[in-house]
Amino acid sequence: MNTLFPYPTLVGEIEVRVKQVRIDGKPLSLSVVSRPQRAVALHQVERPNWEDGSIDLEVTLPELELADGPWSEVACVAILTEGSTNTRVVRRLQRDRLSSTWSGSVPVLRAMHRDRATLNVSAVATVGGVAGRTIGTADEAWIIDLLARTPVRQREIEIAEADFRDGPQEWLRPFKDAPWLVETAGEMPTILLNSSFEGITQLLKGSGNPLEKAASGLVAAQIAGEAWTAMFHSAVADLELDDDGAPLIPSGWRESVLRTMLPDVLPGLALADALIEVHNRHAAGYGWAELQSQIHFAASRRAQVPKNLTTAVRAITRSQEGATR
Amino acid sequence: MNGSGVDIPDRLAHLPGAAASKHLTRGVLTGQEQPPRVALLRASAPIADQSARWECAPLRELLEEAMRRFADSRSRADAWLAPRLHATLRMSRNEAADPAIWNFLALVAAPDYVIWRHRSPAEARNGEPGSVSPVRFTGPHYNQAFARLWWAAELFRNGENYRPAEIACGNQDVLNTALRLDAIDHRPTALAMVRVLEGLSASGASRLGDRVNALCSAVNAAGSTLMYDVIAADELPDQDGLRDWIEGADSAPAVPWDRLPDGPDDGTAPRDSVETLTRLFDKFQAEAPLRIRKWQPADEPSAQGVSLHKDYV
Repeated sequence: MNTLFPYPTLVGEIEVRVKQVRIDGKPLSLSVVSRPQRAVALHQVERPNWEDGSIDLEVTLPELELADGPWSEVACVAILTEGSTNTRVVRRLQRDRLSSTWSGSVPVLRAMHRDRATLNVSAVATVGGVAGRTIGTADEAWIIDLLARTPVRQREIEIAEADFRDGPQEWLRPFKDAPWLVETAGEMPTILLNSSFEGITQLLKGSGNPLEKAASGLVAAQIAGEAWTAMFHSAVADLELDDDGAPLIPSGWRESVLRTMLPDVLPGLALADALIEVHNRHAAGYGWAELQSQIHFAASRRAQVPKNLTTAVRAITRSQEGATR
Repeated sequence: MNGSGVDIPDRLAHLPGAAASKHLTRGVLTGQEQPPRVALLRASAPIADQSARWECAPLRELLEEAMRRFADSRSRADAWLAPRLHATLRMSRNEAADPAIWNFLALVAAPDYVIWRHRSPAEARNGEPGSVSPVRFTGPHYNQAFARLWWAAELFRNGENYRPAEIACGNQDVLNTALRLDAIDHRPTALAMVRVLEGLSASGASRLGDRVNALCSAVNAAGSTLMYDVIAADELPDQDGLRDWIEGADSAPAVPWDRLPDGPDDGTAPRDSVETLTRLFDKFQAEAPLRIRKWQPADEPSAQGVSLHKDYV
């Protein structure tokens, strides 16, 4: 936690383990849980219309520190939230005297979630006569993904194929000559790949000889670079302000885009300061043009353009050597 | 067709955000042009579920009545409409979290309502027509013209009782400020804030808007170190009650206009929890500093008395 607290908080770590996941009362295989990624994937092809899930947790608090500290009435709670449905479910965990771990179950009701929920654990206690103080929170929250089959934290950008020329989506028609389009207006940024653009899908599959693979990598890197640039601009333009006019850290993909790109766009600034700076430049217009090269650099770095370009150059050189030799 | 000249589709559908924002031209935002219906319908995806809850006619009837009732004071329509919209468009949170349904409602089914409710007055100076901010058509749940009302009703109702939601939506500062806070996702917190607001209005407190905003800031700030959920526990909503209510949409009569409809019978917040937080927030409210206004008619001497301003002839 980075907030300053006007009372003593825990120094020791809070460790969270997911012991079991159930939907509609049936336990799922543990392959839906990834401990290193701290992610749970709840989408089940076999049971798409499940209603009622639950996640069993086991938590270790820094018990020695708690025993000696100024805290009383210590409780340990699991907090499941999802911003898009305004859902917040909090459950108290029970302490097991023998193993001195805390355990309990958090309900996941399908009707109350849309997409991805966040599960975190906090220790709460009475400090200095005030009840309900948060004295510690696990360093990293778990991701509960309701749409994924495999438990991964970092989501890839969605890629969808669409026929821009003759497909059902009318609004894509003016773009019929474009090989791809990046859409950032929705919940998740999407790259629309134009299937009426001959050869693009085959090219991106890029199996076969090293030259084909290199070309595929190069095009993929270019698409990714454009996607990162578009996402960055969109996230900056969508920033919400608080009462004092300072930009708030957004949620969802906008947050992760800004968090990953701002250190390259405005090097040396802390996230909050970089956010203010980038917002001011965008809103007031000063220095926005100068920032473009930084944005471009950050995006091509994320998209691994340099790496893919080197690979392509080497592959071409080698194929030419092969021809002349 | 109806009196307002908007051609209404039979059923709601999903309109993707990209397609929606593309058609928010200046003409549409000022209300001088209708959004292009054919193109929007083509870009929309139908809803597979055949339930009566996706029919447009009951919603239109409600919106037209709101425009008639509150012709003189459009912001007052919010408190009347929010519970009735929620009880007409019966959805789970999962369904309501999809912006595509709100985009469709605003751009295809009721663009006239969005213009009526949110158009700024015409700019006096150069005679330019007033316009609506694009976020009222397609925007986050606390901005979009219909999503904000539905979510306010959802977050401030107490089980089937919409009265707290009606009080909350009667105050624009609650809709504009409190609806953005994560703190109100905890039901006893939301209900306690309404109680404090109710007390303030009843006592005739001055600068109610500033007080509400100060309360929101205080509740939010204290919430970063105080876990309201532990001080004031809540229970999970009863999913069977909610499901029955949603399924009942097919046979339910139209919502009443002169008394509040009943919401889903999915359980109320524990009374003790709401009372504990009401006491706490009352204290916050009494201690919270009000925002300093640039104009404070009572305390500030008029410009004439201390004038540094000279009239040069």
